[in-house]
Amino acid sequence: MIGVGAAGPIGNEVGVGGRAGPRTEPAQLLSLARERAGWANLDLSGLDAVDERPFWIALSLVPGLGPVGFARLLLRYGSARAAWSAGPELLGELPRLAADTASGLQRLSLTSVDAIASPVEATTERAGGRIVTALEPGYPPALATVDPRPPVLFVSGDAEALVGPAVAVVGTRRATGYGRSAAAEIADELGRAGVTVVSGLAMGIDGEAHTAAIEAGGRTVAVLPSPLDRIYPPRHRELARRIVSTGGALVSELAPGHAPGRPDFARRNRIIAGLARAVVVVEAPDRSGALLTAAAAIDYGKELFAVPGPIDAVASRGCNRLIADQMATLVTSAAALLQRIGAAPGERQASVLNLSEAEALVLGNLLRRPASIEELMGRTRLATGPLASALTLLEARGLVESYGGATFHATLAARRIGRSGGLDGG
Amino acid sequence: MLAETLSASIVGVEGVAVRVEVDVAFGLPALTIVGLAGSQVQEARERVRSAIRNSGFELPARRITVNLSPADLPKDGTGYDLAIAVGILAASGQLRSVERLADTALVGELALDGAIRPVAGTMALGAAARAAGVPGLLVGSGATAEAAAVAGLEVHGAASLGEAVAHLTGVRKLPAIAPTPLPAAPMRVDAPDLAEVHGQPLGRRALEIAIAGRHNLVLSGPPGIGKTLLLRCAAALLPPLDDEEAVEVSRIYSVAGLLDRRAPLLRARPFRAPHHTISTQALVGGGPRVRPGEASLAHRGVLLLDEMLQFRADALDALRQPLEAGTVTIGRVEGALTMPASFALLSAFNPCPCGWLGARTRACTCEEGTARRYASRLSGPLRDRIDLWVTMDAPVARVDTDGVEPSSAVSHRVAAAWHRQRERQGIANGELPPRELADRNGFGPAVMGLLAQRGRRFNLSPRRLHRTARVARTIADLAGSTSVGREHLDEALRYRAEVASR
Repeated sequence: MIGVGAAGPIGNEVGVGGRAGPRTEPAQLLSLARERAGWANLDLSGLDAVDERPFWIALSLVPGLGPVGFARLLLRYGSARAAWSAGPELLGELPRLAADTASGLQRLSLTSVDAIASPVEATTERAGGRIVTALEPGYPPALATVDPRPPVLFVSGDAEALVGPAVAVVGTRRATGYGRSAAAEIADELGRAGVTVVSGLAMGIDGEAHTAAIEAGGRTVAVLPSPLDRIYPPRHRELARRIVSTGGALVSELAPGHAPGRPDFARRNRIIAGLARAVVVVEAPDRSGALLTAAAAIDYGKELFAVPGPIDAVASRGCNRLIADQMATLVTSAAALLQRIGAAPGERQASVLNLSEAEALVLGNLLRRPASIEELMGRTRLATGPLASALTLLEARGLVESYGGATFHATLAARRIGRSGGLDGG
Repeated sequence: MLAETLSASIVGVEGVAVRVEVDVAFGLPALTIVGLAGSQVQEARERVRSAIRNSGFELPARRITVNLSPADLPKDGTGYDLAIAVGILAASGQLRSVERLADTALVGELALDGAIRPVAGTMALGAAARAAGVPGLLVGSGATAEAAAVAGLEVHGAASLGEAVAHLTGVRKLPAIAPTPLPAAPMRVDAPDLAEVHGQPLGRRALEIAIAGRHNLVLSGPPGIGKTLLLRCAAALLPPLDDEEAVEVSRIYSVAGLLDRRAPLLRARPFRAPHHTISTQALVGGGPRVRPGEASLAHRGVLLLDEMLQFRADALDALRQPLEAGTVTIGRVEGALTMPASFALLSAFNPCPCGWLGARTRACTCEEGTARRYASRLSGPLRDRIDLWVTMDAPVARVDTDGVEPSSAVSHRVAAAWHRQRERQGIANGELPPRELADRNGFGPAVMGLLAQRGRRFNLSPRRLHRTARVARTIADLAGSTSVGREHLDEALRYRAEVASR
């Protein structure tokens, strides 16, 4: 739970529940079918980044040749240039090669490497991005832990955003008001503390996290399930533009023109986990994509946090199980999370609200925990009419929100004021 | 020889006086009916022929022409039989006296033996006669109770053509039917009680407001949480029709042939709940011979649309006009026809095809985007005409049952609020036009200023603001307050339409 008890200022407890550090056994719960590619065993230090660049780009474009196959070729031939020159012979190096991969490889190898690489460079530039290979300094160092590592990345925005400390905030697209407000609170705290917020630009939790980070004046990075020239979901195009214009970055491992499919959604989750120092799963039902990110985090030795939900909430079932199975540390507050990852909280301004007794009562309740009208009636002993009226006033003042109208939660603004003591004395 | 009798016709739900002119001339024996007479009227020839003979009169072996005037009004139905038969008898000199024909409208279907049968819409027909300045109405004896509901009309009931002729010629006068007391239909008792509804305080409250001010209500939420039950409770909360409304509503039911002829005056406020498979025509009225649809049958009462999104899109769309104007207009070749349809719309639906979008305890299994498409079945213009919108979910485990009121308690408050509205402005708050949102009705400058401010904050259209103000007026009336305050307005805003997330 993100809020705190009735009396105290908000968010001062330290996280309790899980033990620190990565878990080693990745879980019967989280089955992530992955192949070990051996990126960890690769020694890339001898390779010339400039010389290799077109070959890396060209090889990464071969249909069906993913990061795993790419690593195998590097292991066998030592460099992408050598692999490329090996031509059709290298087909034998790749067991279980799809038919179209074989033919694609064969066809490509007849063409000059520049004729393949430069159009991609051009289309990437048109989409406002650039290509970074794993050999180049612009490649995010944090991805060194990722296996299979994307050989090339398509990046738009500020490269700095990929270097500093980062925490991933992820969750379901079908977010509840509770999840949204928790995501916003955590991302806000991270943003103000100067920690980059990494997420997947999806609807729901992801979008909430990006937005809150931007509004807190922080940086945020979106790892796309689609190429840069095809922002997905389209409804977040404007958000993507804001991410770039506020010092953040968009990252994709897919070349422009690629039509994103279901596997692309699952695969980008490992990059989200890879870019971050820690992963926070805010709200995830059973079988949520966010649980793949969680599994990747465990696998890469990143610290995993989960926000608990009510025990009857389907939307939080995945989170609750991560906590129950001791896979994730329970997050009690955004401040506690900052403390765990060793970041200092940012400045906040104090302000005071002028509320009626009933309004303060309702807001105080919602700061503790989101609630339906029914629950609020039980807790505040207010009648339906006055309660509905108080909720609208709080909503008009931006202190309370409702998604769908059934449950209500305190907004970020209300939480900030609550933490600064602005609600004291009602 | 020429004769003229009076009758009346139904157009939509209104009656229109009709003159029946009969000419008996030399020529080949024939009976012709002109004046846009439909097939049911054409068959009157056979009924009239037999009835005249079997009543002991004579059908002249001449050329008989019957004209129904106004001749450009399409006519249907069997109610002209009596007027035609009497006209023929008069034109052929078989009546001793014809003076009373000018001041009595004749409405009834003839059986072959001369018996007079009641027809649908007697009440509207009588009203049309009265409006045309005709003081008397002669109907079949089975229809007298219904006809007597029209004030200012001398009503007589005749069992047969013979009796009718005896009355009209002064041979044996029939007693006039006293206009009072009117047998009223029994009040409805089959509605569930609010005490049976588990939890759902906001839904309850919104229902109370909707009924008290005649506002339109939508309940959205997962299946099985009591949406339908709650809406069904509304029937027991409705105050009875007042005298004027009772006649107005009964007339519509009379035209539709839905009245109990022995107890024709409806006192219970209409509560119509058509199934979602209903056709557009049946919902708003129409057809070759325009009949009132469910929307008009719900006039002055409630139209309940359960599973509203399952209704045909064009049927829902057709509800826009009645929701805004309180009337239904049917376009026809012969010109547009308007019928009253001022009702409170109560509706319920699931937020998505599987029903569980936004529910706390169960996940929605719909594909992404499906829910959005589903919700878009409720078009923007229709959504804009919903006054109260409540998103419901299953009650939490520990439901506070202290505040659960039975229907009787709520209907008392509703009746009081109803009374306040009548006293103040003569109409329901749900019908208040924008110019009535004024000081004299309790809308002070402060609250109107706040309304505009909230409108900007929540991005509400002028129509929505107007509707919100009307709801606030009802909330104030339920609280017994003469003026509309900040708390009433804010509560009204709580019930504004919200889009489910995703």
